[in-house]
Amino acid sequence: MKLAPFVAILAALAVPLSVVAKDDPAAPRRITLKPIQFVEYDLANGLHVILHENHTSPVIATYVLYHVGSKNERADRTGFAHFFEHLMFEGSDNIPRGKIDKYISGAGGNLNASTSFDQTDYFFNLPSNELKLALWIESERMMHSKIDEVGVETQRKVVKEEKRMRYDNQPYGSLFEELSKLVFAGTPYAWVPIGSVQYIDQATIQEFRDFYKTYYLPNNATLAIAGDFDLEPTKKLVEEYFGPIPKGPDIKRPEFHVTDPTAPVTHDVAKPNTPLNATMHAWHAVEETNPDAYALQLLGDILSTGRSSRLYKRLVEKEQAALNVEAFPFLLENGGLLGVFATGQHGVALDQLDKLIDEEVEKLKADGVTAEEYRKALNQEEADFASGFGTMATRARNLARYHVFYGDTNLINTELDRYFAVKREDIQRVAKQYLGKEKMYTLRYPAAGAPATEAPAAK
Amino acid sequence: MKTKTFLPLFLAGLTIPAFADIDRTKKPEPDPAPAASFPDYRTETLPNGLKVFVIHDDRKPTVMFRLIIRSGSIADGSKMGAASFTASLLNRGTESRDAASFALETDSLGVKVEASSGPDSISVGASGLTKYTDKILDLFSDAVLHPAFAEGQFERIQRQTLSSLEAEKQQPSSLAEKLAGKVVFGSFPYGNYLTPEDVTGLKREDLVAFHHAQFLPNNASLAVVGDVKADEILPLIQKAFGSWQKGEVPALKLPELPKIKGLTIHLVDRPGSVQSNIIVLSDAPPRNNPDLPELNVVNATLGGGFSGRLFQNLREKHGWTYGSMSAFDYKKLAGDFEATAETRNEVTGPAVAEILKEIERIRTEPAKEEEIALQRQYNVGNYLLSLENTSRTAQRVQDIDLYGLPPDFYKTYAKRMSVVTPAQVEELAKKYLTATDVAIVVVGEAKEIKPELEKVGKVVVYDQELKPVTK
Repeated sequence: MKLAPFVAILAALAVPLSVVAKDDPAAPRRITLKPIQFVEYDLANGLHVILHENHTSPVIATYVLYHVGSKNERADRTGFAHFFEHLMFEGSDNIPRGKIDKYISGAGGNLNASTSFDQTDYFFNLPSNELKLALWIESERMMHSKIDEVGVETQRKVVKEEKRMRYDNQPYGSLFEELSKLVFAGTPYAWVPIGSVQYIDQATIQEFRDFYKTYYLPNNATLAIAGDFDLEPTKKLVEEYFGPIPKGPDIKRPEFHVTDPTAPVTHDVAKPNTPLNATMHAWHAVEETNPDAYALQLLGDILSTGRSSRLYKRLVEKEQAALNVEAFPFLLENGGLLGVFATGQHGVALDQLDKLIDEEVEKLKADGVTAEEYRKALNQEEADFASGFGTMATRARNLARYHVFYGDTNLINTELDRYFAVKREDIQRVAKQYLGKEKMYTLRYPAAGAPATEAPAAK
Repeated sequence: MKTKTFLPLFLAGLTIPAFADIDRTKKPEPDPAPAASFPDYRTETLPNGLKVFVIHDDRKPTVMFRLIIRSGSIADGSKMGAASFTASLLNRGTESRDAASFALETDSLGVKVEASSGPDSISVGASGLTKYTDKILDLFSDAVLHPAFAEGQFERIQRQTLSSLEAEKQQPSSLAEKLAGKVVFGSFPYGNYLTPEDVTGLKREDLVAFHHAQFLPNNASLAVVGDVKADEILPLIQKAFGSWQKGEVPALKLPELPKIKGLTIHLVDRPGSVQSNIIVLSDAPPRNNPDLPELNVVNATLGGGFSGRLFQNLREKHGWTYGSMSAFDYKKLAGDFEATAETRNEVTGPAVAEILKEIERIRTEPAKEEEIALQRQYNVGNYLLSLENTSRTAQRVQDIDLYGLPPDFYKTYAKRMSVVTPAQVEELAKKYLTATDVAIVVVGEAKEIKPELEKVGKVVVYDQELKPVTK
């Protein structure tokens, strides 16, 4: 591209200007994104509906979020919410067993579902001429899903294989299970959504039906639709399919708070298939809607996003002690944690990994972050945010999540402002506040056959 | 496209009583189907031979560049790992920026520059916000054209790779995939996997030589996707890549492709396994096989998704696995067919037998029109859905170039899948699938699963180094 002379001069000017800006992080500017337009409303039965009309491609994404997850389970029925998610593919009063997938596949679409600590979600992606099919199936499942003995028996076996595949047969596969047990001890976050399989065996059909009646209610659900549809006829269809579902009693939400440990806790997990030493440092942090959540995200970026991040530079690049390292806030509805996980290079001792992570975290707490790091983290979040909501499926999912967990659907357009509202000194503050040495959890996976430590443990 | 019948009667936001306008007892009929039309894009060839594709997408203020070098590990020759190490080092320092500066410059703008290698190609990608387009292009072209291959960085990657190889010995899926390549392709380069000896045998000079020989504009294509206008981005690309000199791409010297004969079970003993990873393999044609769209419907019927026969049989009927699927893995010069499942130890033998039974059944029993109609629509519809993803479109456009597909391949793709008949499915299954000339890879607890596997066929046992165990 040829630049007109005066544009070239402006471009040249921009260089010194940006250098000035780098030293003055007081007023970072952010990109203006095309707003994602939507309408939202409640049906009389309490179902929250969010519609994002967008004709870019002839596709629609439907997303149904039930505000129930593993934290709603009893401690002697862990894995229940996830197991129930499998049962929701069985059928309904009007849909014969095993037909849901066939209808969606046969319409040229795809489907899936997932269960986490706080929610269970169901999604379809379809060519836009099949909107009614999606509404029919989701409303059938919400109105009168069918739970019979045959389906329960098959899915019991399937879920056990899912657990073996994802967790039990993988090196470090139990990491999150162990981490949750430590950091969230004494709360319903202490177990992971896959749960313990024996409880699913113990559960009766009646318990599944009760669970359905308690949580799979329009007043506990959000329906988001994004894509190629016309607003008014779609509103009417949504009313026709979902309107007749009776409202249920209010849902009792578990109330609990995660607390700090009274002393540092170290736990080693010995597994025969652990190939390399690995360690996790974790701290109890905040719930996802806490204002400090954004400072914690930026802290995570400064510690480990990209090869210029602190932990990467120190552990992977300089010392060559770790194969990879990641600092990640894991924030949920009722509480959260910040974890730092590193896998050691072959032959590197766990103590060495622990020491390096400690040093970097302590340094950040003592000295804070530089203006350059602060700006870099904001720019990384900006790039992620701008590229995050491209497809109709991601839009439907995030619209629903922002509504349910933040009570502000429009965060899909504005959440980036919250990152930019964090001040540089906030990052040091949250590091000091949450990453206390005296309340740190250390979870270690010693490599099989290798000694866990070369010298006596430092702690 | 949508029914307008109710529009005059009902207004926005009103609560509407549920009349019997809908019949809940029956699956609703679809509206007329939207067409699956492959998006328009701009193609230009620079004077040095670099093919450039520009795909417009203004949903996000971002831009992505994707360069494909049409040489991958197949061009390693005697320097196993050369392609993979070359890719790994591209974003770790250039002649004018050391690794730390390169990392800082990209991270500072939230820009990503990443490279990876496959059997037939190396892919280098760069992405970020359009407001940084000039800078992205600068960093990207610097990584592609002027990598430093600094000794210190090379040694770091060597060491990391050795650690990764150590870790992979315990990962069931890594063990299965490595052995699968070996038993299908033997000493043909597609069968190679990296060993510690390869890694320690490599020298920095091998990467410099690989880069020099293979990174040629006439051996590459570049796709640009994002909120950019072709007329504005093309001159910038010419500026960044115009000085890249064309050259002669070295010819490949390759051994003959082997053929799988008979049925052999290759069992990797991984003590402590609570589940077995199963891959049933057979020979398959290369990516430019003219039957590919129709063959998609055959594969979907057997194991393409939740409604495929393998999933329905092994999961929904027997509860043996979380998922069982099949796929053709097409490479430039050959391919293979893979049917997979992960099953608990005690049903591993029966699961293998059941997979073979399903392969035989699709070859010999005519399918019902209803089943094939579902699978046709599944393929056509999901292709239409995939067009929403513009990076996927870029990949497809570059695949046409990389694999030498007909230029209209994706224009006729959906139409061809939409007319496949049950008779064609049977005919193509007979032609491309086999339940007798198969290599079966299983990774699991040998002492528990071997006796049942021996009922299916001859078993060869390997250790976690993938060396055959002699009793």
